Amino acid sequence: MAWSASKIFCVFVQDAFNRTSAYDLNADTFKAALYDNDITPDQTVSSANSAYNAGQWTAAGNEVSDGTEWDAAGEPLTGVSSSFSSTNYTFDATDTPSGGSSATLAAVFGCLVYDDTVSDLGVCFNYFGGSNSVTDGTFTIQWHANGVFRIAL
Amino acid sequence: MRNQPPLFELPERHWVCPNCDLTAVTRELGIGHRYHNCKGLLGLSAPMVLDGTKAKVEAREREDYIGKEMVSYADRDGKAVPVMSIVTTRDEGQDCTVLAPVAQATSE
Repeated sequence: MAWSASKIFCVFVQDAFNRTSAYDLNADTFKAALYDNDITPDQTVSSANSAYNAGQWTAAGNEVSDGTEWDAAGEPLTGVSSSFSSTNYTFDATDTPSGGSSATLAAVFGCLVYDDTVSDLGVCFNYFGGSNSVTDGTFTIQWHANGVFRIAL
Repeated sequence: MRNQPPLFELPERHWVCPNCDLTAVTRELGIGHRYHNCKGLLGLSAPMVLDGTKAKVEAREREDYIGKEMVSYADRDGKAVPVMSIVTTRDEGQDCTVLAPVAQATSE
């Protein structure tokens, strides 16, 4: 198995509704960690296994990083917003660039977006649609016009 | 209060696009690229390159099935093409901008 789609973790929604985890999507620090295609992301995992460096998201052998260019454990999301428009809830952020301009990253298939403030728990994962790489340059995640994740009601 | 001259001025950076005729001049800190909606690159939000840099900027099509994914599309000869990333190839390296699909939940 491998990456196949972009999903919101089911347990993220449950934990937010049940106040099991004190998420604050307006104020917490979120990060995007890059992964290769050795993992099989699953939106139905437990809270513990949605977290960075747990379950499928174990860093060793799976995460793609390059020193301070793209940090292990991910780059922070900036310009985060959490809002409704009509019946669509959108969690969005400014595009996320590498920390420097000399990143070398190979076989990047997707990213885990997690809450760095709340025990590194996973929020969603975004599949880039294939293998991406960068050599001595800048790697940027351009978030979709409809955000990092969206819930349509 | 008198107008004071700036203590220092940020250097000008001159940007060009290899795929269209747009140019720009900026004075800003940071290493980021300047983006524009490029009519020469399928209308995508594409990076510009510093003037004098030999580079090509290309869109890469998504390699996998789309399924229910909400991906980014570009118009190629009247046909919507799913785009995975925009790659800038320079003599000394390569930049990559991935167009991340949105993770979504719907009531349908």
